Amino acid sequence: MSVDATSAAKPAPGFPALLLALIAFASICAGLYLMLGPRTLTFQTILGTITSYDSLNFDHRVLADIRLPRLLAAIIAGANLGLSGLLLQGLLRNPLAEPHILGLNAGASLAVVLTLALPTASLAVLAPLRPFAAALGGFVVFSITVLFSSAGRSGLTLLKVTFCGIAFSALASSLATAILLLDEETLQKIRIWLVGDLAGVTLHMLYTSLVPSALALGLALFIAPRLNVLELGDHVATGLGISIRQIRFLTILAAALCAGTAVSLVGPIGFVGLIVPNLVRYLNGNNYRQAIPLTLLAGAILLILADLAARMVLLPHEIPTGIATALVGVPVFIMIVIRTSR
Amino acid sequence: MIRPHHGLATGPIRIQWRNWLVVFRVRPICIATMLVLALLALAATSLMLGSYPTSVKDIWALFAPTIESPDHTQAILIQLRIPRILLAALCGAMLGLAGAAMQSFTRNGLADPGLIGVREGSIFAVLVTILFMPAIPLFFRPIIGMAGGLAVAGLAIVIARSVAHLRFVLVGIGLSWLLASAIAMLLVTQDSQTAQTALVWIAGSLSSASWDFFPVAVFFTFISALALFATARSADIALLGEKAAIGLGINLKLTAMVQLIAAAVLSATCVATVGGIGFIGLIAPHLARLSTGQSRQFSVLFNSAIWGALLLLCADTIGREAFLPLQLPAGVVLALIGVPVLLGLLWKQRHQL
Repeated sequence: MSVDATSAAKPAPGFPALLLALIAFASICAGLYLMLGPRTLTFQTILGTITSYDSLNFDHRVLADIRLPRLLAAIIAGANLGLSGLLLQGLLRNPLAEPHILGLNAGASLAVVLTLALPTASLAVLAPLRPFAAALGGFVVFSITVLFSSAGRSGLTLLKVTFCGIAFSALASSLATAILLLDEETLQKIRIWLVGDLAGVTLHMLYTSLVPSALALGLALFIAPRLNVLELGDHVATGLGISIRQIRFLTILAAALCAGTAVSLVGPIGFVGLIVPNLVRYLNGNNYRQAIPLTLLAGAILLILADLAARMVLLPHEIPTGIATALVGVPVFIMIVIRTSR
Repeated sequence: MIRPHHGLATGPIRIQWRNWLVVFRVRPICIATMLVLALLALAATSLMLGSYPTSVKDIWALFAPTIESPDHTQAILIQLRIPRILLAALCGAMLGLAGAAMQSFTRNGLADPGLIGVREGSIFAVLVTILFMPAIPLFFRPIIGMAGGLAVAGLAIVIARSVAHLRFVLVGIGLSWLLASAIAMLLVTQDSQTAQTALVWIAGSLSSASWDFFPVAVFFTFISALALFATARSADIALLGEKAAIGLGINLKLTAMVQLIAAAVLSATCVATVGGIGFIGLIAPHLARLSTGQSRQFSVLFNSAIWGALLLLCADTIGREAFLPLQLPAGVVLALIGVPVLLGLLWKQRHQL
């Protein structure tokens, strides 16, 4: 693997500068995101919306009701997906690990479909719990994947975990498809959501996603120093007093919470979790404590840009965001496959 | 001239004519016969089931028309059920053959036209044809699909630089994701009616089966099957290793080429007629080897075709029957059956992978 154990916990000198640069870039991207669209808005309009909001002004309504929730959704989902990928790559010590590839997204989607297929009366009660249900789905599917692929003398290998992930994803998504085809009402509710799309996110959904996001981030910050030690190998980590079992469980839990939150918000979007941690590792080395804030920012930036591209490239059509990230992410995936297998 | 070997009733029977030797092993032939009988029984059962149940008498009436059985029963059987069942069996057999060929030339038990992007390449090419060049007749769709599938396979080979390496499968998976998003992008720009129809077709459904597809499907299946059975012996010898095979006078490149093109044609024909159906190409060859205990390519090809037909017919019958009056596409049912089998295969190889 491309992991360099000696540089694991060494703080990279450029970290503060990198953090500031990413924050600045994220703000620019967010500003652009708010201005561009089928209706181009000026910077003055944005300022005007903030300082003196006028509910009768069409531009103000577009900003506050459509673009702002969508921007916030991109930020929250992108940060969560990036963090999920980072945790999984730390857990498996493998740069190809990614929530979409490993079946977390499919498990989370199945859980969301199941909660939506329930009788309408219970929907309102369940809405705040949906991110948790999605996290549970992702957690169950990925735990089975990890258990299944660590069987055998060769242990948990890249190929086995990828195949198991694909197999369990296929199972979960065909179950979801079967439910949707048999229950047309649910299909109509989430047809676009299923390919991963940011359109139609409401402020209410954003609020409900904050709690699981915060929980996952807290867990991730707690695990990060231990993941740094885990980079030195299982034996060294055990010798340094770290319980491998406990750290694995907590990492999977945090990764599932992240993926579940993102999926319940914007649908199964892939490859953000693949690109972002690899990019951060390239820029800043392997320190997980520093990687967490950088990953959050870079994930948000990537999803903002992907959604901007998805909205703008094929005007007047809008392509689902998940497709835009796949078009960028797959070449990265193939590149890493070739580099690691050489 | 017939010459019984060992004089035992269950021993292989050898038939020699000049310098051609054909060996029949009794047990595998019995098992293959049983598989064929099971397929026929399943087809007959499937013929009687449905939202309009028919009886043995109605089916018999097809062969000896009388005035007693009402006309619409015959219409349902002839225009809806029989073509659907035949097409399911034919496409299943095509996918079984394609999977057996693919696994033979990549020497990888996890190779499957659906897994490594050949199917998505075909779907993409056929979809572009249907959406942008609707004037092109049905007959050419498998050829265009084949070109798409071969292009993807070629790209995967170029990127991975070796078909035998596991990297090839991973690169193929990556390419299939890329094409899946390209397909989704094509669909977004269409109106929702077209997109809906295309989605059902991509999921792999036999609900629109009709007699129109038969000439095309039968023609391409026949040619590809012929090519595959003709190269079966070379494929066996190729497994001995490159040097041994060349020493025995086998043209390795030609053999692999024939197998790849035939697999792409079969997969593309299936895509053009019933849409994207996964997992059969992966599972059927393994079931063929497990059930007969034979790993010779000739026997694997034959039994894999039968198993493929059994699987698809079974999946389509379940999809048609289980949730009446609603139907599930056969592709969805197959994923539900296929994933446990795939996991079983992974479990068997857990020490090697």
